[in-house]
Amino acid sequence: MDFPKRYDVIVVGGGHAGTEACLAAARMGCKTLLLTHSIETVGVMSCNPAIGGIGKSHLVKEIDAFDGAMARATDKGGIQFRTLNSRKGPAVRATRAQADRALYKAAIRDIVENQPNLEFFQQACDDLIVEGDTVKGVVTQAGIRIYADSVVLTTGTFLGGVIHIGLDNYQGGRAGDPPSNALSQRLRELPFNVGRLKTGTPARIDARSVDFSVMQRQPGDDVTPVMSFMGSQADHPEQIDCFITHTNERTHEIIRGGLDRSPMYSGVIEGVGPRYCPSIEDKVMRFADKTSHQIFVEPEGLSTHELYPNGISTSLPFDVQVALIHSMKGFENAHITRPGYAIEYDYFNPQDLKHSLETKFMNGLFFAGQINGTTGYEEAGAQGLLAGTNAALRSMEKDAWYPRRDEAYLGVLVDDLITMGTNEPYRMFTSRAEYRLILREDNADLRLTEKGRELGLVGEERWAAFCEKREAIEREAQRLKSTWIQAGSAESKELETLVKTPLTREYSLMDLLKRPEIEYKDLAHLKGEAVADPQVAEQVQIAAKYEGYIARQLEEIEQMRRYENTKLPKELDYTKVGGLSNEIVQKLSTLQPETLGTASRIQGVTPAALSQLLIYLKKHHSVQKQSA
Amino acid sequence: MELGQLNTDTIAAIATAPGRGGVGIVRVSGPKAKTIANDMLGFVPKARYAHYCPFKDENQQTLDEGLALYFEGPNSFTGEDVLELQGHGGPVVLDFILKRVCELGARTARPGEFSERAFLNDKMDLTQAEAIADLIDSASEQAARCAVRSLQGAFSKRVHELVESLIQLRIYVEAAIDFPEEEIDFLSDGKVEADLRSVMANLASVMQEANQGTLLREGMNVVIAGRPNAGKSSLLNALSGRDTAIVTHIAGTTRDVLREHIHIDGMPLHIIDTAGLRDTPDEVESIGIERAWNEIEQADRVLLMVDGTETTSTEPHDIWPEFVDRLPHPERITVIRNKADLTGEPSGFMQGQTSTVISISAKDGVGVQTLREHLKTVMGFDAASEGGFIARRRHIDALNQAKTFLDNGLDQLLGASAGELLAEDLRMAQNALNEITGEFTSDDLLGKIFGSFCIGK
Repeated sequence: MDFPKRYDVIVVGGGHAGTEACLAAARMGCKTLLLTHSIETVGVMSCNPAIGGIGKSHLVKEIDAFDGAMARATDKGGIQFRTLNSRKGPAVRATRAQADRALYKAAIRDIVENQPNLEFFQQACDDLIVEGDTVKGVVTQAGIRIYADSVVLTTGTFLGGVIHIGLDNYQGGRAGDPPSNALSQRLRELPFNVGRLKTGTPARIDARSVDFSVMQRQPGDDVTPVMSFMGSQADHPEQIDCFITHTNERTHEIIRGGLDRSPMYSGVIEGVGPRYCPSIEDKVMRFADKTSHQIFVEPEGLSTHELYPNGISTSLPFDVQVALIHSMKGFENAHITRPGYAIEYDYFNPQDLKHSLETKFMNGLFFAGQINGTTGYEEAGAQGLLAGTNAALRSMEKDAWYPRRDEAYLGVLVDDLITMGTNEPYRMFTSRAEYRLILREDNADLRLTEKGRELGLVGEERWAAFCEKREAIEREAQRLKSTWIQAGSAESKELETLVKTPLTREYSLMDLLKRPEIEYKDLAHLKGEAVADPQVAEQVQIAAKYEGYIARQLEEIEQMRRYENTKLPKELDYTKVGGLSNEIVQKLSTLQPETLGTASRIQGVTPAALSQLLIYLKKHHSVQKQSA
Repeated sequence: MELGQLNTDTIAAIATAPGRGGVGIVRVSGPKAKTIANDMLGFVPKARYAHYCPFKDENQQTLDEGLALYFEGPNSFTGEDVLELQGHGGPVVLDFILKRVCELGARTARPGEFSERAFLNDKMDLTQAEAIADLIDSASEQAARCAVRSLQGAFSKRVHELVESLIQLRIYVEAAIDFPEEEIDFLSDGKVEADLRSVMANLASVMQEANQGTLLREGMNVVIAGRPNAGKSSLLNALSGRDTAIVTHIAGTTRDVLREHIHIDGMPLHIIDTAGLRDTPDEVESIGIERAWNEIEQADRVLLMVDGTETTSTEPHDIWPEFVDRLPHPERITVIRNKADLTGEPSGFMQGQTSTVISISAKDGVGVQTLREHLKTVMGFDAASEGGFIARRRHIDALNQAKTFLDNGLDQLLGASAGELLAEDLRMAQNALNEITGEFTSDDLLGKIFGSFCIGK
């Protein structure tokens, strides 16, 4: 039976990737359908109740720069905000928020429900409608056929999901939800390279059974940071504290005693878990000399007593979970509300994707989130935004778009996945970004909002606010450049309390701001008036402090950009390019990089090989010209 | 876009064939050619005119005198601005000029890169393109071999230790940045500064060694080894033309390692003759033997001498199994069958199974010229476009760049406590050293971090 309507874009899945994907397509004006097995779970946080952190808040603010939902929902649902790395320089600073699960989900639901062009339909997706090598729509559990120009799959951990608690296991997409087995089966018939990954989550604890008086209190920042460029502290609900406790020798003994019933250590689980988010049994085994690990005790919300003990994710049997939790300070009488578990699921080798997140094998089919081997709400949301955007562009018969590595963490994420693939759940870190000094969370809007506007993603309100901010930054920078302080003047005397040596000549305020010991607030008021908007002041200050480094990175980027702009034709036969080793021919033929820049980042591709490609392209080009 | 515009950097290379010639040319191509001319000559030569003038270093001292030619793009060989400095030749002087050009913003060209640019800028026609592709192919293969060769022995070990210590430091700095909640905030304690200073001291000593010339000026280490009385000292004398070793017929006369610096067509060679290696109760002699073994293990090339009257074998392992088994790099052996005057063997190259074999008479000097040519080839100073000399130049450039970044990084750490800027300088320093030791990606770094610290919020 056919669905009564057809759509421009169908998004399958209502998690963090799915919501950003369907919102993006709808903002761009496409008739969009969100197909989910449960409308109630749209925007649910399946694992830890937190958004942001190092590398991750960068992605959240990039989504926000495109007018996405995640940052705004975080401001509405955040019950504790902190700036990490606050003393380490702006490029590596990151905002992290504990989120009230219910408030966060409600905020996402509110945004999704009020988005024009977007409709939902509750049914599991079982199959794809395929004609030749092009996807034409989806088939639901009840056999309903829905047609669309583009389909975005954001299946999370649901594809072939298996949940493990001790040696017991059962099929599930998340605790309490069924897996998507029919779709998994169907996708395995297509020529994708499928693998298995593993992730885990800790047991949850009832706060009424916990003694917080023996734990270390961890409050939020005094001046609460805000996640969205459009947000304010007024959006935030009541703010509360987190706590820290520790594992001890006794805990570790209990864990070692239960390993024979661990699915990880008895070989039941074949999927690979992340090295940076190991289960507690992994931590104890791999770092045997550490006698204690810190555990962050995070509230799940204002209206619930449930706690999330961050750092003891585990798939040990339930009796071992109880014993190990009771061995910790403050948890002696803890009541467990839900057991911890590990989940194994299918993912598809992201090397089979284009940078637009469209699959190479099937036109019109896009993948985003954990299906591509990533982990994290933020990584999923960012990919969802990109996949939704490109699904919409395809429906409008426009060229695909994606950010480069020097433009966004989203660009780094996608390029890493496509050029290197991944064999563990991929998480963002700032050390993955070679242009880290440019890709800051504070300037995500300056980097991306204009592009977002051009793509049709950014609404009127944000665009107006953005333009005003950008002009204010430019105005203030000009003022500092053209305001001079004379040696020996009263203003100079005021500054000399900060600098070691007296000023010997005339300096502009901008020159002075470049000195490490002087900040914007020290000098902006000396002549004229400092700007009121802290975001503007921050941008002016950072540009001054990083000037030399940014100039060097821009030069590096300029070099690279030329390679990025040189397209490698899809029909290029690498065996015909002389002088390439067999290994390189094979890699290039398999991965089919879209540009010379992507080719240059494939492991083993040498500068000499790039030269050969360039010469071949040039020859080819001339031949075409001659015959034309 | 035009493919020719892909190149925005400036490249430089020694354009004349390696060896001691009458003229040596350093060629520079790219947007900085003009400013480099201005800095080294004090003026920009008129395009397409020859100027006779001194080439100056950073202290305005004359490195060499010769002809400077300037071609303004697109009217040049490569289609870019080109500067040519024609000096008196000689590898050491040419190397100084190339080094200066690189300090002024050029980088050493990859094999075939000038031709590649010429082609991409429509300065060569299509029929020539095939030849360029072949040139890049063969030359880069050879360059890779030379790079490996220039990295043998003690220097290589030092560079790898240096890179390893830099990686260790980066693990701490990056972990502190990416995992601030993991109780590993090293930027605030003194460890990072102490480690950075130790990496810098390490680099300084590697650079000092490199610049002192064990690497560049003195060329490579060649060891002459063999059983007592095989004729090692005679060969040393024949190669160097001087009577430095006492030559007698009594086994054990040469008691110490003897060093000799010789030049073959201007190419520096560092030859070590070892004491006859044998078990001995004589204390002085056994000290000499131990030192000899150290030299042998670090050598770039081992000339294994055998008395041709004692065996007809050309196989190192047949000639002296216990010696060959002890060598870390048996592939570096050349077998020298001495005393061709007595055996009547024809002098010169002989057929060998696993090693090059040369028959000579050290006493008469017969076959010694063949050996000289062989050593030149082994050093990478043959007629091909790129030799070990340039490969080593690249390494020294890389060390220099790394030093600049580490100096900056220390300033940032001390002056501004800016961990993220220190991290950036360390990244750039590592990028520079990647030229020597191969790629080290951010993924490799993360792997090391996860192996070193228990990360897991």
